[in-house]
Amino acid sequence: MIPFLGRSLVQKTITLFFVSVISFAVVHLAPGEPSQVDPLNPKFTKEVVERFRQQFHLDKPLYQQYLLFYRDLFAGKSTSWKDGRSVLGKICDRFINSLPLFIVGTLITWTLSFPVGIQAAIKRGGKYDRTTTFLAYLLISIPGFFFAYVLIIFVVSTFQVPVIGMTTFGLSGAGYLTRIMDRVWHLLLPSILGATAGIAVLSRYVRNQMLEVEGQDYVRTARAKGLPEEQVHYKHALRNALLPFVTMFGLVLPGLIGGSVIIESIFSWPGIGRMAYEAILARDYPVIITVNFISAILVLVGTFLSDLLYMVVDPRIKI
Amino acid sequence: MTTRRLLIALPIIVLLFLLQSYFWVPTYEEQTRGNPQRLVEYVAASIGDAQLLNPTLSADSASSDINGLVFEGLLDYDENLNFRPRLATSWEIYEEAYFYVNEEAAVPGVGKVDARVLVRLINQAREEHAAREDPLSRSLSNIEAVESLPPRQFQRQISEASSEGNKTEVRLRISAPARIKLTLYGVDQDLFNNLAQLLGPGYFPSFRAEQYIVVEPAELEVKKKEYAQSYLPATEHNPVIIFNLRPGVKFQDGHVFNAHDVKFTYDSIMDPANVSPRLPDYEPIKSVEVLDPLTLRIVYKRLYSPALGTWMMGILPEHLLNGKALGEEARRRGLDPEKMSIRQSSFNRNPIGCGPFAFREWKSDQYILLDRFNDYWDGPANYLKYGYRIVPDVLTQEMEFYAGTVDSYGVQPHQVQRLKDDPRYQSFSGLSFGYTYIGYNLRREPFDDVRVREALGMAVDVDKIIRYVLYGQGERITGPFPKQTDFYEHAIQPLPCDPEGALRLLAEAGWKRNKQGWLEKNGKRLEFTLITNQGNNIRKAILSIVQDSWRKIGVDVRTDLLEWAVFIQERVNKLDFDALVLGWAMGIEPDLYQIWHSSQIGPYQLNFVGFKNREADELIIKIRQEYNREQQVAYCHRLHQIIAEEQPYTFLYVGKWTALLDKRIVIMERDKDGQVHYEKIKPTKTGNYTFYFNKWIKLPEMPTFAAEG
Repeated sequence: MIPFLGRSLVQKTITLFFVSVISFAVVHLAPGEPSQVDPLNPKFTKEVVERFRQQFHLDKPLYQQYLLFYRDLFAGKSTSWKDGRSVLGKICDRFINSLPLFIVGTLITWTLSFPVGIQAAIKRGGKYDRTTTFLAYLLISIPGFFFAYVLIIFVVSTFQVPVIGMTTFGLSGAGYLTRIMDRVWHLLLPSILGATAGIAVLSRYVRNQMLEVEGQDYVRTARAKGLPEEQVHYKHALRNALLPFVTMFGLVLPGLIGGSVIIESIFSWPGIGRMAYEAILARDYPVIITVNFISAILVLVGTFLSDLLYMVVDPRIKI
Repeated sequence: MTTRRLLIALPIIVLLFLLQSYFWVPTYEEQTRGNPQRLVEYVAASIGDAQLLNPTLSADSASSDINGLVFEGLLDYDENLNFRPRLATSWEIYEEAYFYVNEEAAVPGVGKVDARVLVRLINQAREEHAAREDPLSRSLSNIEAVESLPPRQFQRQISEASSEGNKTEVRLRISAPARIKLTLYGVDQDLFNNLAQLLGPGYFPSFRAEQYIVVEPAELEVKKKEYAQSYLPATEHNPVIIFNLRPGVKFQDGHVFNAHDVKFTYDSIMDPANVSPRLPDYEPIKSVEVLDPLTLRIVYKRLYSPALGTWMMGILPEHLLNGKALGEEARRRGLDPEKMSIRQSSFNRNPIGCGPFAFREWKSDQYILLDRFNDYWDGPANYLKYGYRIVPDVLTQEMEFYAGTVDSYGVQPHQVQRLKDDPRYQSFSGLSFGYTYIGYNLRREPFDDVRVREALGMAVDVDKIIRYVLYGQGERITGPFPKQTDFYEHAIQPLPCDPEGALRLLAEAGWKRNKQGWLEKNGKRLEFTLITNQGNNIRKAILSIVQDSWRKIGVDVRTDLLEWAVFIQERVNKLDFDALVLGWAMGIEPDLYQIWHSSQIGPYQLNFVGFKNREADELIIKIRQEYNREQQVAYCHRLHQIIAEEQPYTFLYVGKWTALLDKRIVIMERDKDGQVHYEKIKPTKTGNYTFYFNKWIKLPEMPTFAAEG
């Protein structure tokens, strides 16, 4: 156990170092410069541009920029070029905004996919199974933004209620409970949209996993023992079918910071995905690199967690 | 079975909880009906968030929308784009001109003269020419006073970077000769040209400033000419602006505004630590002096006619941003006071100015809220609140507008037909400040021949582009000035669409169609690549249409779409292109130096097509230096004509915008007796419908106006 932890820590640190170099290099090697040194603005003279470059250390060699950047990042001092605010503070704010979206989305995905997938597996080949298969492929293939527009236009024109943003604009005078419910309402559409693809994929996955387990000998034994069908499915089969999902759960973690660029932009949700996207457009290097770096950490932590979880739930696996 | 029940119950509970929230959310009807607050709040939407709420530091449009409401400048544009007083009640522009006494030059009819005689000479000439109407007389009668300044000695320290990068300190010992100071009633850019008639054509150019300068160390003697140019210029124009400020104006925190705030704003722009993008506007200033708390004197180093317009800049409150305030803020936030600049200050997220609306709250990427400033000097606005929502998606903006949570919506070209006359909304439209063009690289063949450029322009049916690509939401344009200003010469006709005529012109230039139908000259086919940037569908469409029209007359043109950064850095900046489709956004000032002057044709400069024309160069400089608007307009018309003749660009169109506004919004005015009048919102001549924004208000019911019928 201990050697595993140690080994994995060393490995992950090395990986992280390479990720830091690559994410730094990719951003700097990509063509384009921060909007502050926009070369096509007649108002910007050479001197102003030059001064911005100095301010941002863009005039130094790349390796020095790399060192300066990560020094600032670890000291918590790196600031966004766009508005001069602390990068970590910005990410933190946005993270809190994205979190409910992420939690509700994940909740919908995971609670809905299992019953749907299991049912499809049990009634394999039946009408229900074929309908869910069709729906799953439909949801996977519909472009998210298109679906979002259709849904927004439908809801706004049918129910005449606001759906954009985190809350109804100008509702600050209302009661406490109303405000909370208003927030919940605003969460509904974007999180359903965020969950659709997840539900489609995951329920398919659950179905296949169940089918695989259902064909195993011990399930046949359980049936042969004369156990009721429900007990066979939900106790003997489901438990074992769940195993691979434990690993998947660890991989959900990076989604925390990735957010969803498209959904957040369409719903003008001030989340982290949208911030990262806008930072890329404005070539706000500190924000881009920091978001990259943090998501790399989350990926590594996620894989580490799923390794650990696997050990806990599957006693056959020893590391 | 519990597992099964749990599996089914859980998602149902989650979804039910989420769905029941619908019953708590007010529908739009309820929002305005049960919420009178909504009527006194104006809600605008923007695609992008603001960056810094500080007019000296920001350069994006969202920030300037908010800064325009929170801050106030010394002046701004009125309905007809003339200047009108704001924080300044009035201003006066005159000039102080200087020239050194050239001891070696002989004045015609008099010989070599000293300062005293020169003064007498000029004064004599003023009297003699008093009633005459030639250029020299006009310049002379413009002189208010002549005086001579005694010779003086001074030193200058400069540090000179050598080619190896190390710096050397250079000391200049200057013993300047006597100088004549002319105070003029108005700015006169031809003063010295005209005075040369009096003092002899060689008087100013033959002034040898080098002889008055001693350079230490002596190795840098080679640079003496350069130093002489900058420290002892033979002639110097110093335009002066005197601003009289409005007394009793308050900042939103109650502090009274005065001239020191203006000077402070200028100083903070010039402070290198703040890295202000506005710096170039104020670089020509020599000094800003506070004569008394309500009077400012600003002296310019050289003629710079856009100068007055730069004072539309919002004025910062000195008491919140000066060294002391910043130092305190740094201590409070645990930052290094030495390194603290305005750029780091939290002021940029909590601005305070003299404008009609005071800042309340900013939630990044969500909204910015402003409250009415009740002590606004021009009377408080009608709206109590201003909300600026950030809605990054156009379609969602539209949906929010229909439902009433946003009060205005910028219509997309393809929707104009449908929405313009919709009785539910009021609509406004006007021309944008900017145009789209095809630019040719004049350094390359065959674009070095004006006939070819003109022929290419004639082969394209621009009207069709406007009709089908822009859905009619554009107008043709023939030159580089904004079409709604006087600077634009309306007499110039756009190129006709005439492919036959184009072929004739090309034939004149030596290009003939070969057997396959391609144009050829000396066995070389007329072929090149037309490029533009990716991500702009209109430009992409133009690219294909232009390619098609050119191919029809036998030009073998290829097209390429490039990612913006690659397009700019690899092609435009390095001047590596044949022809491109691009657009310029313009301001109102007619300064075209960076885009059209021949000194700006190098790599990384903006005259990337390489346009060179001697007369145009002169005009560009003259426009920059001319303070008389009529004269400036005349120069602009001539420049417009030259550019239209030379066709370095095929000018395509200027876009038209259309905006929808909630029909319940009207202008509300109170007359002397406190009686309230309502009026329909009317745009100004230039199409600006928000000009009277401070008088707007939203009514609970849709109003009917008798005059409308």
